[in-house]
Amino acid sequence: MTHDELRAYVADKFGDKLTLLDTGRAEPMYEVKLSDLHDVAESLRKDETLQFDYLCNLGGTDTGERLEVHYQLASIYKNNRIDFKVMLTDDKPSVPTVQDIWPAANWYEREMWELYGINVEGHNNLTRFLLPDDWDQGHPMRKDWDAPDFIRLPEFKG
Amino acid sequence: MGVIKKLPVYAERIPGGSIITTTLESILHHGQASSLWYLLFGTACCAIELMCTGAARYDFDRLGMIFRASPRQSDLIIAAGTITKKMAPRLRRLYDQMAEPRYVIAMGGCTIKGGPFYYDTYAVEKGIEHIVPVDVYVPGCPPRPESLLEGCLTLQKKIKQQKMSDWQN
Repeated sequence: MTHDELRAYVADKFGDKLTLLDTGRAEPMYEVKLSDLHDVAESLRKDETLQFDYLCNLGGTDTGERLEVHYQLASIYKNNRIDFKVMLTDDKPSVPTVQDIWPAANWYEREMWELYGINVEGHNNLTRFLLPDDWDQGHPMRKDWDAPDFIRLPEFKG
Repeated sequence: MGVIKKLPVYAERIPGGSIITTTLESILHHGQASSLWYLLFGTACCAIELMCTGAARYDFDRLGMIFRASPRQSDLIIAAGTITKKMAPRLRRLYDQMAEPRYVIAMGGCTIKGGPFYYDTYAVEKGIEHIVPVDVYVPGCPPRPESLLEGCLTLQKKIKQQKMSDWQN
């Protein structure tokens, strides 16, 4: 299946649940609504034509205005890739877990939870992962994060 | 090489030449400085240079330095590589497990002041002097084996200058 065929198939099957984003890349990147996230993920995994059985990556982004969670999928059988992301504008950002669909999501979601402060509903083990166990300084990958010994790189003036 | 250098002098003065006299201080410090067993402790790319220094071309063993896998058998900890905030308590624990006298060499920019991770980091400890007392700093990113050997020779010099009267401290 070529990228164009993949786009056509996804547009046909999911309709307005997945909105194509213009990234300039060959692999399609979609935006999904938070309410549709779990259903769409499950359909991508279980659809006979797509069979996205491999979660390559899952992570957060802080753009300064909002938080995003992106999911990068691949299909071993069909040799396809697809990305989709969900935008979070809420004060208390939260996404449903996808570890019931891809068990690999467990560690990714723990990492995202502690570095970005994005809650993961239904996760079975939201505990400290990469940061020290007694960490109490918030979520360091947020743009507005600060700590007493945190030194920002000064701007270089050429 | 205090005792070895003086060996002919001492030996000549004694009839028969089979007994050597020296001070307890110099023989003790000679022994300490010439058998600095270091802990296998590498946390980043500096460890590669440390391994290279220990291998055949540079041969740490010339200085009597052999790696030990247990802190109980080590005299020296060469902190080779970035120490993160999560690693810092482990480094302190290893240091505490070593028997005295014990020494620390801070190898590379990361252990001196955070190195390339000085800015924009939430994870890296900016200098290990906050965690353990450091005897010798070896700058570089990473330091070449020659630098590390120089650092070890400096530490040997430092050990030989110690006085037994300082031991209470």
